[in-house]
Amino acid sequence: MTLGPIEIEVIRNALNAAAAEMDVTVWRTSRSTIVRELLDYSTAVFDAQGWNLAQSARIPGHLNSMSHALREILAHYVPPDEWHEGDVIVTNDPYCGGQHLPDIIAYKPVFHEGERIAFAGTLCHHIDVGGLAAGSYAAKATEIFQEGLRIPPLKILDRGVRNDGVWAMIRQNIRKPDLLLGDLSSQLASLDVGAAALQRLARRFGTDAMLEAGARILDMSEAGMRAAIAAMPDGTYEFTDFLDDDGIDIGVPIRLHVAVTIKGDEASVDLSGCGPQVAGPTNATLASTNAAVMFSLMCCADSSLHMSAGCYRPITVIAPEGLVVNARHPAPVAHRVAVTHRLLNAMNGALHQAVPELIPAAYYGNSYVTTFQTVAETREVLVEIEIGGSGGHPIKDGVNAYASGMHNNSNIPIEMIEAQLPLTVMRYGLRDGSGGAGRYRGGLGLIREWRIDSPRCFFTSNMDRFDHAPYGLAGGGSAAPGALVLRRDGVESPIPPKTDNLPLRQGDVVRLETSGGGGFGPAAERTPAASARDKAMGYL
Amino acid sequence: MEQRPVRIAVDIGGTFTDLQILDARQGRVVAWKTPTTPADPSEGLLIGVREAAERFGFVLADVGLLLHGTTIATNAVLERKLARGVLITTAGFEDVLEITRHFRRDVYGLAPDPFPCLIERDLRFGVVERVRADGSVETPLGDLAPMLEKLRAAKPEAVAIGLLHAYANPSHELALREAVQAAMPGIPVSLSSEISPEIREYERLSTTVLNAVLMPVVQNYLARLEARLGEGGFSPRIFLVQSNGGMCSLPRAAAQPARLLLSGPSGGALAAERLSRRLARPNLVAVDMGGTSFDVSVVQNHRIGLVTQGEVDRLPVRLPMVEMRTIGAGGGSLAAVDASGRLTAGPRSAGARPGPVCYGRGGTLPTVTDANAVLGRIDPDFFLGGAMSLDVASARVAMGAEVGDKLGLGIEAAAEGVLRVTNVQLASAVRLSLFEKGLDPRDFTLLSFGGAGGLHATEVADELGITEVIFPREPGTLSAYGILFSDLVQDLARSRLLPAEAEALPEIEATLAGLREEAVARLVADGVPEDQRGIEVSADLRYHGQAFELLVPWPEAPDLPALMARFHTEHRARFSYAAEDEKVEIVTLRMAAIGRLPKPAETSGEAASTSTTPASREVWQQGGAASWPVWRREKLHGADIIEGPAIVEEAFATHVIAAGWQAKLDPEGALIARRLP
Repeated sequence: MTLGPIEIEVIRNALNAAAAEMDVTVWRTSRSTIVRELLDYSTAVFDAQGWNLAQSARIPGHLNSMSHALREILAHYVPPDEWHEGDVIVTNDPYCGGQHLPDIIAYKPVFHEGERIAFAGTLCHHIDVGGLAAGSYAAKATEIFQEGLRIPPLKILDRGVRNDGVWAMIRQNIRKPDLLLGDLSSQLASLDVGAAALQRLARRFGTDAMLEAGARILDMSEAGMRAAIAAMPDGTYEFTDFLDDDGIDIGVPIRLHVAVTIKGDEASVDLSGCGPQVAGPTNATLASTNAAVMFSLMCCADSSLHMSAGCYRPITVIAPEGLVVNARHPAPVAHRVAVTHRLLNAMNGALHQAVPELIPAAYYGNSYVTTFQTVAETREVLVEIEIGGSGGHPIKDGVNAYASGMHNNSNIPIEMIEAQLPLTVMRYGLRDGSGGAGRYRGGLGLIREWRIDSPRCFFTSNMDRFDHAPYGLAGGGSAAPGALVLRRDGVESPIPPKTDNLPLRQGDVVRLETSGGGGFGPAAERTPAASARDKAMGYL
Repeated sequence: MEQRPVRIAVDIGGTFTDLQILDARQGRVVAWKTPTTPADPSEGLLIGVREAAERFGFVLADVGLLLHGTTIATNAVLERKLARGVLITTAGFEDVLEITRHFRRDVYGLAPDPFPCLIERDLRFGVVERVRADGSVETPLGDLAPMLEKLRAAKPEAVAIGLLHAYANPSHELALREAVQAAMPGIPVSLSSEISPEIREYERLSTTVLNAVLMPVVQNYLARLEARLGEGGFSPRIFLVQSNGGMCSLPRAAAQPARLLLSGPSGGALAAERLSRRLARPNLVAVDMGGTSFDVSVVQNHRIGLVTQGEVDRLPVRLPMVEMRTIGAGGGSLAAVDASGRLTAGPRSAGARPGPVCYGRGGTLPTVTDANAVLGRIDPDFFLGGAMSLDVASARVAMGAEVGDKLGLGIEAAAEGVLRVTNVQLASAVRLSLFEKGLDPRDFTLLSFGGAGGLHATEVADELGITEVIFPREPGTLSAYGILFSDLVQDLARSRLLPAEAEALPEIEATLAGLREEAVARLVADGVPEDQRGIEVSADLRYHGQAFELLVPWPEAPDLPALMARFHTEHRARFSYAAEDEKVEIVTLRMAAIGRLPKPAETSGEAASTSTTPASREVWQQGGAASWPVWRREKLHGADIIEGPAIVEEAFATHVIAAGWQAKLDPEGALIARRLP
């Protein structure tokens, strides 16, 4: 049969709704703050081959990795004919298609009249999966075994029956078992909701129509992506950006080089020029790397493009094993987000040469993760993720303090922190002068200061862009690099950006200054009105 | 408290001013509609009242109560017709208003716009001071002279004052107001500790700033409205509809206009709540579809839900409001086909101007209304009761060019496609509204209203597995009907993070006593007699470590075990689990001071005395035209049975009874459609 364009749209909407219902289910039933407040999870539905058909719009770093992981599992770990009705397969292993250990991905096959017609999948960042450091984010890990419990792809539910041994094994190896297992249960509930929605659709339209609609949706996304690539002039566009270091070999920069070749309506992204994998946890496996590359190109497409795995088809990624973008086992990978931020910065730098009217200068390119463990009568932990400014754009200024690129989280209210922990936030404001100068100025970064009110406190951070500033484009200036400062007894001293468990005492103040975005175009071309406004607002 | 017999509810929308009138002498409720006068909406209001008086036989002096729903505050924000404001805040935190909460919605966008910010950096002034979370003062208020000098130089029209932890101790905010008013006598000032005394600085600041810059706008409108009082003996007591669905007095609205911000859809939700009782349907999902938006609200066990925060134009408003899901889908939503061949309906809208192509006001892009017109579902000669005729030919041309040709479909097939795509979107919004509460659509009746709702309702119900749809009387003025029967409600709140345990009881009781005292004072000020007063207590609770709170009623206050039992039960219902061993925290205590307005009995709608035969019209469906019966609602008789497919028309709405559905008039005057088994 051949479906008309209207049926395709109806089914597409229903697939989107299925992903959204799964999303609401995770939100509704999960336990930990990392899921509920930072919203660090994603949901998606896939066709019978594991290609992503629809997704909930949450975290760019997750979204385009879930199809990759499912395809890896189907190809190497659990062959298609071993997925039975009622099974749920989970993994968190970066070396089996995952990204880093805290992210547990769960997939459920969906059957209709005995035939597998689709998969549902959810990815949640869990609060802790064991390992060296609380939160499984050890800045000084040198092999993945230190980063926590690894779960190879396995059936956590086997034909509807819980694999109790696996649940017990997980419980024994992690710091917050009730939260993790609670969140995992919420992932399973979400899969049931997704499967029910897909089955509802199959009953209404029939298996053939479902499969055909899936294929057509992928084709249409592919066509949209090809159109976006075809609009770029043919050629090879190269760009290099750097991570400061891996936290182990301090001051040794990590090179992220991309060569994007546009030929007709296809793009080939060669990452062979990236640096070798590093000793510390600033490595990525292919799931993370692909997510960053796909995201950069998908952002260039028409805003109505339906985001599905069809978008990946015209894009080839070349990433030899052993590089920081395709680390070889057992390299640690907890801080893979740093690699994806910088890879996205590098991709945008290259794409600017192809579509200069679309691409902004570099955003801050970093997840400013800080952890304070206060020690008084009780131990309390505060984890915050801060942001910086977005890059100046070809037709407008960057945005001050704007969640950009690969992550997308919320900040934590100062009043909530102070009501709960022996910490006082002394300052939270825009960082004057941190945006790159340009015809269009980069957005400003932030300043946040915490004062320690408990007798003791341990501070952990994992940051970058302290040596290598976010770049400007088309003659725009680069943004200010970040800074992390300790003020003790009136004396200021720098804190290394990648720090594990720095002991602090009462009265100490930690100040974080985040990068702005780079500027776009020569500063001399900034309009007098815009310059006057910068001055009036004190942005410079 | 009011002896004059006539009560009027008025809901001023963008195009029409809707009135519902209750005359206690006959117990009769009647509706009236008149064009809105945008330059001064109070003018149209008075015109409508005069017209209604003439039509329904009362005199202006009979009107004792005027209950007024207005979007004046919302529109002022959307159009940025706001006062020039200054924000005074704790030094070091002047940028909190601009930094917001970070999370972005447009994940793939390369050219982001900043979050809206109503007071720019050069008008945000810091003062040295610091209050702690427990209300103690760490740093006293410093020298204000330099700030006051800057303030005078800035020539503001309104001042917002929001300091860290002012919810716990407002003394610095109060002192600042005194200083500001001494320096600039008569300037409107809004304090965060008064408008939204709740923890979370950004949301509180946003609310305070909105309130401040709205004060001059709303005060101006209320002054014009009051100036009209006395004309022709028209001098009712006036109350305004707030976002929480309750009424407030004029002085309260003038001081706290932010409470009006999301009142627009609350009338419809109130109506749904009242109809839920009259029609004996405890569970209703109400959908209000107009020209630009589709609002979904849920009535569960006869009650609408309240939430503690909403937003207008991406600006958070931390005040209690009726829980509502709104999507940008309405009659004016534009249909389009993108480069990849994808058909979309909305969220872009043709709005009121130019509007749909068939309105003939210059619109050239096809809309959902055009799709209905092309298919013959709307009578081109009976639109708005015949007040406007539709240009179906132009709608056909646009539908063909913009949708049909691009998809290889005929004009009618294209129009049908637009409706199908629209209906699945509407159904998704309804399903999510129920889903996020753990509810199943099949347990609900769909209540359809708004100008465009009836055209889609039965087909949306089919998408959801809902088997009953109710079309209430006067669907075009239903919001006003809801307002007609609401109460005065003043929400009070106080944030204080406390363990929900016996040790905190003295502080909890002291806070409750303070709130109660204020609640009574407000009821007295509004002249509510003792036997019509009510006070409802509730609390925002969470398990230790959670980042969000659940609003739980607490009629047994201060009985903590009773509150805990309710919290665990509610948490399990909403979030699928309860952690009875974990510590529970109280974040905010709330009190609603309620002044009950008498609810006179209303008589039921009058059905026609005899049965009629319906007319018929050619309507396109599934590949061909067929003759559908067309019924006039006011001519329906209790014995008439409407078999779908059919159309029911009334002055301001058209309803489609889809194939497989059967509809009948109920004794209350509502049209009830049921899915045949």
